Amino acid sequence: MLFQGLVGLSEAMYLWLVAAGLSLIFGVMRVLNFAHGSLYMLGAYFAWVAFRVSGSFWVALLVGPLVVAAVGWAMEFGFLRRVYSAPEAFQLLLTFAFVLILDDAVKLVFGPVYQSPPTPAALSGAVLIGHSVLPTYHLFILGVGALVGLGLWVFLEKTSFGLVIRATAADREMARALGVRASRLFTWVFILGAWLAGLGGALSMPVRAISPGMGELIIIEAFVVVVLGGLGSLRGAFVGSLLIGLLHAYGLLFMPVFELALGYMAMALVLIVRPWGLFGIREG
Amino acid sequence: MAPRRGTTRRRFLKSTGLALAGLGLPRAIGAATADLKLKKPIKIGCQTILSGPLGGYGEFMRKGATLAMEEINAQGGIGGSPIEISFRDEELKVDVGVKNARYFVEDWGADFLIGIDSSAVALAVGEIMPSLNRILIVTHGATEKYNEDLVFKRHVRQCFRVCVPVYQDGIASALVAKDLPVKRWATISPDYEYGHTSWRMFRAYLKRFKPDVEFVGESFAKFGTVDFSSHISKVMGLSPEGIFSTEWGGEAVTMVKQAKLFKVFEQTKAFMIGMGAAMDVLQGLGADYPDGVWASGRYYFGYPDSAENKRFNEAFRKRWDTYPSYPSETAYTAVQALKKAVEKARSVETEKVIEALEGLELDRPAGKCVIRKEDHQAVYAVPWGQIRHDPKFPMPTLTNLKVFTTDEYYRKPPFAPVEG
Repeated sequence: MLFQGLVGLSEAMYLWLVAAGLSLIFGVMRVLNFAHGSLYMLGAYFAWVAFRVSGSFWVALLVGPLVVAAVGWAMEFGFLRRVYSAPEAFQLLLTFAFVLILDDAVKLVFGPVYQSPPTPAALSGAVLIGHSVLPTYHLFILGVGALVGLGLWVFLEKTSFGLVIRATAADREMARALGVRASRLFTWVFILGAWLAGLGGALSMPVRAISPGMGELIIIEAFVVVVLGGLGSLRGAFVGSLLIGLLHAYGLLFMPVFELALGYMAMALVLIVRPWGLFGIREG
Repeated sequence: MAPRRGTTRRRFLKSTGLALAGLGLPRAIGAATADLKLKKPIKIGCQTILSGPLGGYGEFMRKGATLAMEEINAQGGIGGSPIEISFRDEELKVDVGVKNARYFVEDWGADFLIGIDSSAVALAVGEIMPSLNRILIVTHGATEKYNEDLVFKRHVRQCFRVCVPVYQDGIASALVAKDLPVKRWATISPDYEYGHTSWRMFRAYLKRFKPDVEFVGESFAKFGTVDFSSHISKVMGLSPEGIFSTEWGGEAVTMVKQAKLFKVFEQTKAFMIGMGAAMDVLQGLGADYPDGVWASGRYYFGYPDSAENKRFNEAFRKRWDTYPSYPSETAYTAVQALKKAVEKARSVETEKVIEALEGLELDRPAGKCVIRKEDHQAVYAVPWGQIRHDPKFPMPTLTNLKVFTTDEYYRKPPFAPVEG
């Protein structure tokens, strides 16, 4: 029973990493990045390449997300910053175009076959909890997710750069009037968001099949999480991910017929009762 | 994304196609000649999944159909007419599948339709074939409702299928399972037609073969599941001795990898994956595929040991630099079957080719097979086997092959209901 919840939480950690970047980018830049799932996919592919070259999972985990961060920089610097003043529909179209381009690019380079590097030996063990077996890798994922959450909290609450990010998210005009260089800030936020998605992808590399289109499978859930938690709220993204993970795991156990709908029902409920999300800021 | 043609070229091809069809009407009289004066080219519309995480399947289907086309065209085409095949992405969605079929016939001018991966799409497209007045040869969607209900009970004569139905996943599997030391079975399977119907069949037939088995639990995973952890922990909480699964493609790869992390293979005595011997799963899991897993497909490249299979494997590897997966063989066979039937009928007219296809015997890579007249189902046997790692091959292969006769595991007209 409790064990099922623990497994659900471990699944939620991938979602958290993707949703965190998605929410951060929206909070600061007001851009809904459809291509965020594709960055997750790239994280898996780049990590896989790094793994093939180096033979080390740890090197792959370090290099993969960094390369994704570089791609994020290119996306923001080369394209997104040109449409900040355009209507939101243009930004959505641009990021959606990236989904199609990146999917096909990956298919061209790597082919449509599934790639699945082996799980690192150090993490392929398992621990016994009661009568149930929990893979070491799932414990590792729980740890990484928590660590990233803590890291982001410290970064945003305790550093001056974090303060600038929060200030810009709260009131862009005022921050600019006070001398914050928004364009440079946006670039850095996008890079951070891309890195988070890439980290999620790199972590999924040894335990999930890697294929073109894998980003689309996670982006919808990530949007649900962000809406649930409140657009732009990292705390909301964290709680939202855990909620979706638990609903999924316990839904399977107790009402498998409705399991698919549970996450969306939760989102609908939140939208009715608190349209700005669980931890979002009420606007207007 | 599905390939699209420029409108002008499409219109041009369509009008020339029509013109040629008109010219082809007066048929050759007397002895069979190489040129049947049919319309040129003969157009085949193939739809399969070409995008997303299951897109690997469509790639294999495309390769098989293309190889058949190239071989046939190199030898002068079908009765002197070259074949042209167009591919579209089915996306495993019913509305997309129906739209593709209409596009192929009404806009592109297809003479025949082949392909389709999803059972639900096969049923939906099958429904509209009489109104489109074209033949559809399904090469992957496996629900028994297609041949048993649509063709046999409701006489939708335009529908054919050249891949083995869920009898492979649900009945041949039970013939394997009855001899395994497992009494408590559970499943992790896809939450749609194919997954449910296979599990229902497996339970009904295994209960018949071995009355003391128990079915202790099930977890059905939606299409597009990226993580199977909660499914695995749910099912393992019921302490099964054997796991039966019909997950396929990338989802089968993910499920097996994660089951390995959860030490499922140490805690159970048997693990069966109906489509686990598909080439994309064999290649995708590679060294990670645990030895001893029971797996099958709708064709396995290593069976049978026949001249035709050997030739097909060599030609396929030469052309594509990979071993063929089962959709490659079934799509290849669909095109070859059309050639044989059209030459027999000396026509591309739907009604005449239907008659030619009924009872047609084929020497296909998967073995000798006959297209059953009553339900338009190709009847041939595919083995189950156990995964092993043979250094002679770049991917895992099957050992300990269990081959059953089609008589043992193909359901027969009038198709008594599957109880349970």
